[in-house]
Amino acid sequence: MVSLSDREVSAEIIKSCRSGDREALRALYDLYKDRVYSISLYFFHCDQAAASDVTQQVFLKLMTRIGQFRGDAEFSTWLYRLVVNTCMDTARRRKSYVEISDRLVMEVFAGPGSPEEDYSRAQMASSVRAAVSALPPKFRIAVLLRYFEDLSYVQMAKALHCSMGTVASRLSRGHKILAERLRDWVGTKG
Amino acid sequence: MFTRHVSRRLAAFIDGELPPPKARQAEVHLGRCALCQADREQIRFGMEILEHLPSVGAPEAIWASIEAACRESPSRKPPAAHRWRLAFAATLVLTLVGAAYWRVAHPFGVRWEVVRLAGSPAVDAKHIRGVGRIGAGEWIETDSVSRASVKVGQIGSVEIAPNTRVRVVTARAGEHRLALERGEIRARIYAPPRLFFVDIRSGTAVDLGCEYVLNTDEDGSGLLRVTKGWVSFQWKGRESLVPAGASCQTRALLGPGIPYFDDASETLKQALEHFSFEEGQSDALSIILGESRVRDTLTLWHLLSRAEVTDRERVYDRIAVLAPVPAGVSREQALKLDPETLRLWKEELAWTW
Repeated sequence: MVSLSDREVSAEIIKSCRSGDREALRALYDLYKDRVYSISLYFFHCDQAAASDVTQQVFLKLMTRIGQFRGDAEFSTWLYRLVVNTCMDTARRRKSYVEISDRLVMEVFAGPGSPEEDYSRAQMASSVRAAVSALPPKFRIAVLLRYFEDLSYVQMAKALHCSMGTVASRLSRGHKILAERLRDWVGTKG
Repeated sequence: MFTRHVSRRLAAFIDGELPPPKARQAEVHLGRCALCQADREQIRFGMEILEHLPSVGAPEAIWASIEAACRESPSRKPPAAHRWRLAFAATLVLTLVGAAYWRVAHPFGVRWEVVRLAGSPAVDAKHIRGVGRIGAGEWIETDSVSRASVKVGQIGSVEIAPNTRVRVVTARAGEHRLALERGEIRARIYAPPRLFFVDIRSGTAVDLGCEYVLNTDEDGSGLLRVTKGWVSFQWKGRESLVPAGASCQTRALLGPGIPYFDDASETLKQALEHFSFEEGQSDALSIILGESRVRDTLTLWHLLSRAEVTDRERVYDRIAVLAPVPAGVSREQALKLDPETLRLWKEELAWTW
């Protein structure tokens, strides 16, 4: 059984994946699935079905295209390029299917605590989710990649197909919009 | 001399990603420019606030669906280095030849495995003793002591309860569809949404990645009870979204009613049945509103679009009391049933469902 504790993947795992080793693929999936899923979930306004769909597509693409990964870049950068492409392509397709997107559904995330206990925390989280959802897609994906994966600006530039300056600009503007939208909440916290 | 504003570089400055000369330049500018100082604080706050965005675990069903996709499409297997082009071409040719042969040899598509669980279930009137097969257009029927399990392609299984009659309508990778004439089935589906459908006379249950029990009589009256994930219960352009822990009744000629959580009060459930399928909607509505808890905003959200125009405000007000109305949802748009507003509101309310 392959087990990975390091966030970066060894050349051996990649090699095993290329030769079709299902266990190695499962190990890769286990290592990245939650981050890929979380990014997709928040990118698609907490739509669980869309997030599942994107996560599935990303790992299927990974399986078929891993032969193209030459190892001259970090694996995570290559993987997140797949994530970005899949998210943006899916978002473009969904634009023309308003009827379907109106039927979006979301998984139940409610914890075991009573609504009263969690009210303030839930309200805050809800405001943040709404603010992230409202960001323009290019800002949203940049903010999510930085937050969930902590990629460097060089890695993000590769994943987003843009310059480091553009990454910096999108992150600055994205975070500023978030702060502006959440200003009311800060005001109530005093 | 006053240098150019550095707002667009501030995230990189805060993250320590600016090259030293540019970082020094930004620092000098920030020492003098109140506008950029304010922007820096805002951006810093925007970064910190993301800590309230929890990481969410990917559902187990995703891996199952990846494996299923690999099994159904062998070309998805990872290509060996240096040979992938050849392998792809060979796979394409074989797939085309295979598909042509399959079309001729199997006009009804794939046949699913049927396993006898008890008694003597029958496929197209032929009793099966151990394991049988069922394809599109064929019926499976159980008597009062028989039960069977059908393996639905590579995406899950359906258990057929006693006294049930069900037909396989479509058995393709992109669409798995059953028609339940009477009786009860329990479906367990581990696939991306909208690959598995069950038709009954008064609606269609569309799988959104879930487990559920669906029963119906021959007239079409029945009940959908979801135990995992979500099901979309549809009929003539109307849709009821039913999450885990909730149920939805359906009636002949009327279609699915309004979903409710199984732990809702009996009074609420009875009132909901009156509201959905009988006369006297206004009295029933008062009871439903009075009995609703935070979680019952599932029911109230559906009610909003099904109540009379004159009652809509009462429903809106009750939801607003139970859960904060999110930014982007205006009373005016919600009462007009603006689809985008309702969608936004549902997504926020669903965190409490």
